[in-house]
Amino acid sequence: MPKLIIDDIPVEVPPGTSVLEAARSVGITIPHFCYHPALAIAAACRLCAVKLLDGPVKGIQMSCSLPAQDGMVVSTTDPDALKMRSLVIEWLMLNHPHDCPVCDEGGECLLQDFTIAGGHSRRRYVGKKRTFQNQYLGERIHHEMNRCIECYRCVRFYQEYAGGTDFGVTGSAGRVYFGRFAEGALESPFSGNLVDICPTGVFTDKTGRFRARYWDYEFAPAVCQHCSVGCNTSPQNFQRELIKIVARRNDQVNGWFICDRGRFDKEYLNSPQRPRDPEIGGAPGEYRLALEAAANRISEFCLQNGAASLAFVGSGRLSLEGCLVLAELARVVGAPFCYFTESAAAQGSLAAVRLLNEQNAARVRDIEKAECIALFELDLMEEGAMLSLAIRKASLAGAQVFRVGGAREGEKHPLPFRYQEVATVDEVPFEGGSKGVVICGAGGKSPELLSYLASSGAKLVMLQPGPNAFGAALVSLERKGATLSDLVESGQIKAVVCFEADLPPWLLERVEVLACADWKRGGLTEKASVLLPTTTWVESNGTSINYEGRAQRFLRSRPAGLPLKGLDPKYYSSETEAVALHPPRVHRNYIPGGAEREAWRVMADLMLELGGEPVNEPLTGRWGKLRDLDPEGEGVRIYDLVSAQDLS
Amino acid sequence: MPILTDIKEILTGLSITFSHIWRKPVTVQFPEEQRPMPPRFRGSIVLTRDPDGAERCVACYLCSGACPVDCISMAAAEGENGRRYAAWFRINFSRCILCGMCAEACPTLAIQMSPEMFRCKRQVMDMVYEKEDLLIDGTGKDPEYNYYRHAGIGVVQPRGSSPGEQEPADPRSLLP
Ligand code: SF4
Ligand code: SF4
Ligand code: SF4
Ligand code: SF4
Ligand code: FES
Repeated sequence: MPKLIIDDIPVEVPPGTSVLEAARSVGITIPHFCYHPALAIAAACRLCAVKLLDGPVKGIQMSCSLPAQDGMVVSTTDPDALKMRSLVIEWLMLNHPHDCPVCDEGGECLLQDFTIAGGHSRRRYVGKKRTFQNQYLGERIHHEMNRCIECYRCVRFYQEYAGGTDFGVTGSAGRVYFGRFAEGALESPFSGNLVDICPTGVFTDKTGRFRARYWDYEFAPAVCQHCSVGCNTSPQNFQRELIKIVARRNDQVNGWFICDRGRFDKEYLNSPQRPRDPEIGGAPGEYRLALEAAANRISEFCLQNGAASLAFVGSGRLSLEGCLVLAELARVVGAPFCYFTESAAAQGSLAAVRLLNEQNAARVRDIEKAECIALFELDLMEEGAMLSLAIRKASLAGAQVFRVGGAREGEKHPLPFRYQEVATVDEVPFEGGSKGVVICGAGGKSPELLSYLASSGAKLVMLQPGPNAFGAALVSLERKGATLSDLVESGQIKAVVCFEADLPPWLLERVEVLACADWKRGGLTEKASVLLPTTTWVESNGTSINYEGRAQRFLRSRPAGLPLKGLDPKYYSSETEAVALHPPRVHRNYIPGGAEREAWRVMADLMLELGGEPVNEPLTGRWGKLRDLDPEGEGVRIYDLVSAQDLS
Repeated sequence: MPILTDIKEILTGLSITFSHIWRKPVTVQFPEEQRPMPPRFRGSIVLTRDPDGAERCVACYLCSGACPVDCISMAAAEGENGRRYAAWFRINFSRCILCGMCAEACPTLAIQMSPEMFRCKRQVMDMVYEKEDLLIDGTGKDPEYNYYRHAGIGVVQPRGSSPGEQEPADPRSLLP
């Protein structure tokens, strides 16, 4: 373990750590552009200069590419180092345009920060600035090449880290250009990370172009709700509208990055189509009245048909809180409840949860370190795209990757690593199993097949069909949930009350929908006689459990309600005012369209109406330990709270 | 005799009073009458236009970020030629302390302090000014500056033709 001294502070770091990281570990930030912890070292920008006063090397050195060694005495504040850094920033700014006011990076720009930190404020150079033409890179990323400082972060990410082939660097001398060979949309499903990784405003998010500034954003730690990997994100809201989603670091899950689906697929959150006001028989009404109506309908139905012919339905979209309170609500009424609508999907999810344990559930780290990986009959880029980057890492480090069962129908993106096709999983040479990983989708697989895969001795990744389907399956095992299709087919169930559930059309036809609570419209909300709007993950606090059993907390990042942009004219004081572009000139003590509540709160309110106890804390029993889960932490695996083996 | 001194004092005082009665008063009947204020007086706020007549404001949110009482709000938008502008821009003058920080922060010289004095209103809502109320038809204190002529993004002229810029480089060229 090298011991060195940085600015009079003694530091001891693991071998191979750079001086820059060593300084960071004691709270000293050395300015840097090209260095990124997730990428290979380029030492291209020369900003991270420090002076070594004593030890094996001496003089000005680049701290990002200098491994810490015993006996080094490093000064980050030596006048020589300061001078070097201020000259570097000055020359990096030679060609930089006069753009900050119209640049979407402004306010969250590393170049701005380090220009100020370097003390460069007046242009001395009198020559002309080099300019470039931009390229059209698709509808999601805006390109503004004049702003580039040639740090090579983008290519290192795009080609080396994400395996993209259609973007790179060309040019010589002062004309180094980062773009595509020909204009066109970027092909990599991870291209959005260019926005995060570029330290300047060359790549900005076109979907949030010219909308807001960093200091006005409302954000909070969130967990992506598009698939069961559970990447950590930070949604950035402005005036109750989601403008951008950026990646949030979690070394146990997604590292520094997220996939483009998680970043750009967000229109549904701002949609004016979202149900905002409660509806009773199709007409908008007050929340309290809608709750009463739902409760009345449920009580009447139970009186006439018995509680056993009513089912409470949730899904893997519900947070853990929602799943738990749903079971309570069903208990108060005495009716069955389900989180899975079709038995094929249900048995796969449940079997996966039963099979996995602390030892065999693969973390992303285990995938990165694996020596042999088998992809079993799945479209990885659809079901858990971020895992493909972990496999790529392993593959580059020499792991063998096998694909069992060939490509799935409708695959949109090629896998970003080399693999061999094999026909059956028996052909995969897991040696002793300890460094092997099997990756498959759990939904729709038979329990026998899943246990067969588990018997290979390799670690397991069983991707679930919803962001919190793992949690739903666990609660279903713990509290004895049912599967809706089984109940309907046995003729027991005549009506349902749904919370963020998705019913296939054949099931929807066969039941009456007494009430439905959801944040999106669909067949269910059409058919429901009472509609209670719920909040999405941006407006809710909650917990979800990812495919490997990691519970992660997400927090509300904006209040419920309609976005200010494009607000319905009915909220303006007059017809003529509504055509104006500005927000209404009316004082209100409520947020327009802000009646939505978190699903578990709707359930709790309904429970109260139906004569149950009030719920103040949804995480009860063994789940209580998750109450103080740190949303900024790495999450916790739930295997010591609950073991699925003793639930079954 | 002290009584004579007292009368003298009273008469002296009164004579001063009388001499002022016939003087021209210094007060004016504000707001019907107004005094010209020095040009740097911070009386109210306007949004100006560039010399070509277009709105100067690029909705960069620097003024709203600088405002110590948070009384500026706006929403940025993109025009069809790629110009960034304020879809709406609102100043709540019932909160504004006329400190001038916004004008100091503005990189485009759009928002400027005007010496014209701001008037009080009976309704708070009447003190909330929209962009339509703030925008004037002139360049304010700087008749020359047009931010978009200097920005690199090429809105009012082709890329690479702002003062101090080279023609766009060709990255495929192999010349030194
Ligand atoms: S990249 Fe940064 S420094 Fe450059 S224009 Fe954008 S905000 Fe300003
Ligand atoms: S485009 Fe951005 S990330 Fe790429 S080299 Fe230029 S400044 Fe660096
Ligand atoms: S003058 Fe001061 S208080 Fe008034 S808007 Fe400007 S910054 Fe805000
Ligand atoms: S007035 Fe000036 S500082 Fe304010 S948003 Fe417009 S350009 Fe920016
Ligand atoms: S950060 Fe060290 S040279 Fe760029």
